[in-house]
Amino acid sequence: MKKSPPYSIAEDWFHTQGWTPFPFQKKTWEAYLEGKNGLLNAPTGSGKTYALWFPIVLDYIRENPDYRKKHSKGLKAIWITPLRALSQEIRQSAERIIEDLGLPLTVGIRTGDTSTRERSAQRKSMPDLLITTPESLQLLLATKGYPKTFRDCRAVVVDEWHELLGTKRGVQMELALSRLKMIAEKMRIWGISATIGNLEQARQVLLGPESEAYHNSVMIRARLNKNIRVISIIPEEIETFPWRGHLGLRLLDRVIPIIRESKTTLIFTNTRSQCEIWYQKILERYPELAGEMAMHHGSINKDTRIWVEEAIRNEELKAVVCTSSLDLGVDFAPVVSVIQIGGPKGVARFMQRAGRSGHRPGKESVIYFLPTHAIELVEASALEQAVAKNAVEDRIPYLSSFDVLVQYLTTLAVSEGFLPSEIYREIKSTFCYQGITEDEWRWLLNFLVMGSQSLQSYDEYKKVEVDADGRLVVNNRGVAMRHRFQIGTIVGDAHLTVRYQKGGYIGSIEEYFISKLTPGDVFTFAGRNLEFIRVKEMQALVRNSTKKTNKVPSWMGGRLTLSAQMSQLLREELYSANLPVSERSEAIRCLDPIFRRQEQESLVPGPDTFLIETFKTRDGYHHIFYPFEGRFVHEAMGSLLGYRVSLLSPITFSLAFNDYGFELLSDQEIDIQAIIDNDLFSTAYLLDDLQKSLNSTEMARRKFRDIAVISGMVFTGYPEKGVKMKHLQSSSQLLFEVFKDYEPDNLLFLQAYRETFEHQLEEGRLRLALERIGRQEIVWKPCSKPTPFSFPIITDRLREKMSSEKLADRIKKMTALLMK
Amino acid sequence: MTTQTLSIAGQHLELHPSGVIYWKEQAALLISDVHLGKVTHFRKFGAAVPHRAIEQNFESLDQILFHFRPGTVCFLGDLFHSSMNSEWHRFEAWVKKTEARFLLITGNHDIISPLKYEALGITLVPELLWGPFLLTHYPEEREGYFNLSGHIHPAVRLRGHGRQSLRLPCFFKNKHQLILPAFGAFTGSHILEKSQEDEVYAIADAAVIKI
Repeated sequence: MKKSPPYSIAEDWFHTQGWTPFPFQKKTWEAYLEGKNGLLNAPTGSGKTYALWFPIVLDYIRENPDYRKKHSKGLKAIWITPLRALSQEIRQSAERIIEDLGLPLTVGIRTGDTSTRERSAQRKSMPDLLITTPESLQLLLATKGYPKTFRDCRAVVVDEWHELLGTKRGVQMELALSRLKMIAEKMRIWGISATIGNLEQARQVLLGPESEAYHNSVMIRARLNKNIRVISIIPEEIETFPWRGHLGLRLLDRVIPIIRESKTTLIFTNTRSQCEIWYQKILERYPELAGEMAMHHGSINKDTRIWVEEAIRNEELKAVVCTSSLDLGVDFAPVVSVIQIGGPKGVARFMQRAGRSGHRPGKESVIYFLPTHAIELVEASALEQAVAKNAVEDRIPYLSSFDVLVQYLTTLAVSEGFLPSEIYREIKSTFCYQGITEDEWRWLLNFLVMGSQSLQSYDEYKKVEVDADGRLVVNNRGVAMRHRFQIGTIVGDAHLTVRYQKGGYIGSIEEYFISKLTPGDVFTFAGRNLEFIRVKEMQALVRNSTKKTNKVPSWMGGRLTLSAQMSQLLREELYSANLPVSERSEAIRCLDPIFRRQEQESLVPGPDTFLIETFKTRDGYHHIFYPFEGRFVHEAMGSLLGYRVSLLSPITFSLAFNDYGFELLSDQEIDIQAIIDNDLFSTAYLLDDLQKSLNSTEMARRKFRDIAVISGMVFTGYPEKGVKMKHLQSSSQLLFEVFKDYEPDNLLFLQAYRETFEHQLEEGRLRLALERIGRQEIVWKPCSKPTPFSFPIITDRLREKMSSEKLADRIKKMTALLMK
Repeated sequence: MTTQTLSIAGQHLELHPSGVIYWKEQAALLISDVHLGKVTHFRKFGAAVPHRAIEQNFESLDQILFHFRPGTVCFLGDLFHSSMNSEWHRFEAWVKKTEARFLLITGNHDIISPLKYEALGITLVPELLWGPFLLTHYPEEREGYFNLSGHIHPAVRLRGHGRQSLRLPCFFKNKHQLILPAFGAFTGSHILEKSQEDEVYAIADAAVIKI
């Protein structure tokens, strides 16, 4: 060690602020200055930014003793944030330290919002400390001369690593780090993560399993134990409380006293549409709250969001209706109460939201849970248990995401070109690609250079070329330009920006919603009623309207599933309905009338029973199964069972599911006894059967959408740039079909299926669930009408289909129906 | 193969599951929206669409010509998807070895110079009045004629009990016109709503089925 670490500088600074550093902050400073990498487990608003900005700055002081006189130029540290909205705040905390210590360092931000001018200025002279996003970091790697830019960089901090971990943006980070490790030899890598179930794995993924960086790393936990109290809002009259629904407006009046009694209340909703509706409805019923209430979600324009955040900080607002957009970052000390509307579907998320209240060490956090339908009260009770047991879920990292790798390799080919042997070693050291085979690697290179295995003489495939030194490079400027553009696209459903015809940006909406509107329709968005005029390029033009409307944009991204831990707690709560009243929780006691109603037709299952209900309505024959495992597992189990049933005799189903169970709806009656007799819940041939169920193709088709965009096979166009790319537009759907018919061994096509099984169908959980059912007694209840448990499922309109009937027979049936 | 034969204005049109129409009296084959060159166009711009899809188009064309042995082949527009690319040479070779008279009613995608087509002996017309029929790329209605066209890539959505649904490419007919489905292997489809007067002939595997 060169000199004794200058902690005193940091400690002094803390004392002048009137603070004392937390032990976790000191530990982090120490470890960092010893040259360690690491993962810091600390919640939002705990002072985690100071835990890492400080040692970065202290390190600089140590390395440059005459720092006040001399300033060595160049990038010294990179701070990665998943949300560009957080970058301002991170900058402020860095600048505060730099100013107070009188350092000559500069801080810059580079995100999708950074102007072209500022970006090119940065290219000439990088700030000392750079705050950026994973996408913008990739873009830097797509710039010529990037090795020089990063050469002297001494630190990368990946903030909110838990948010990136289970996503492809996380994979992007793994790849970028694998490259940076090589070009910046003195670089330390640090991650900051909230509590998740697999923290140790999170550290491995960040640093690379078995890597040198991993072996020279530490895990530091903040352990700021905070008490969280969950209060469920229980409807006064359960008899009239709805059996289905997701809005929860029935209990709106109960929210008002909470708002009135608290200085500031955050009301968390699960989707942006729900957020819009709640905001509207509260104002309709309590107009006196106008001016004291605001809304915050990801589709609202940035300025408004920043204004809301400021207003919360300045205690100018009584209540804010929001979505997960307020989950991260942004410290609001004044928030007193937090209300969660509807099941949060995850314990970690719920606790994080709860942490928004009583946001001071030692203070108790209070979160109110407002159920949106009767059965959700079971969830309320399970949540209380989960919080008490700190049962947070895992974030499952992706494996072998070839689409991200294709994008990354193209990125390197665009900037400096790359030698396959060199890059292969690097990517092989990452968590995501630890299992890649040489065959797969060769296939990927072949795909980049020849567009898969084409040997046709008249093929004009052009993307990456091999130069005389054996480097893979992109020479075509058009390819390079389109690629750079594509990196910045955050994958998701196609979005349109919403603008006033006279100008003025309001926000963005999924194309799917706009496509259902006709000009003249009025919809609610960003708290206003807007009349849809027309779509122009990638914009929806609107004007204000005074008309009332019930149309609210829906966001498909809002569909979450219950985690394994949460499902188990949920089942346990439900089973407790069979216990003596005194042993039940308040929510379960309150549900008693519903349970009695359920028992009239059917039963409330216990730990040893697996319930199946059947009944007939106008829609057809309903067959309902209750595994209580979360919607993803139910989707998988439904397709599996549907497929297996269809082997017994030709039949066509549609499948509906929610977090509690799934339904097979058909125009024919299924013989449930045959399901039991033939052991159709068996785990034998599970993967094979899943693959064959038509449903997996449908799901893979959806997965393929992202894959096609990320890997650059579908070009999303240049929004608002007016560049004509008409002849290059195709849907990923169409592409999926051609791969299915003509190139089914394409790795990217196969990836869609693999992702379906691993991430969507959660094959691992499915197997466990089937094993559990195998130990339970299957109870079949033929009912005369829908039961309370079945109601939320059978009224779900989003359905999957599957069939083993001949196409012609199905058409005949449908045609007959049309004639009636 | 199950086909459907329609009798319109005294003429007999056979709807074939490949998406083409064979006009018996004139021994003419009507084919719409092949979009040749599209795969190559995508590949040229770095999107690796499977190469096999190109061959599929030519194989399907060969099969259908072998089956009907028409005197005339009339393309109802969007024969070639993009500007010139190497797939054109593949097309040239195909035309030269194929015995038939070729007509192309130009569509919005047909931007390659007419001279190139004429050099291959293909006649280009903006539209064609032939017997009782008006052949166009875009569907249109004209007094005194029955219109045969393409452009739309029609498909139909069928719904059944148990909230089932199916999407199938189709021939879409009303009183004055008949729209052909897209023939090409790498083309999408567009769902049309069927009204009371419309007749829909859906393509299901190897059969044309009246809905």
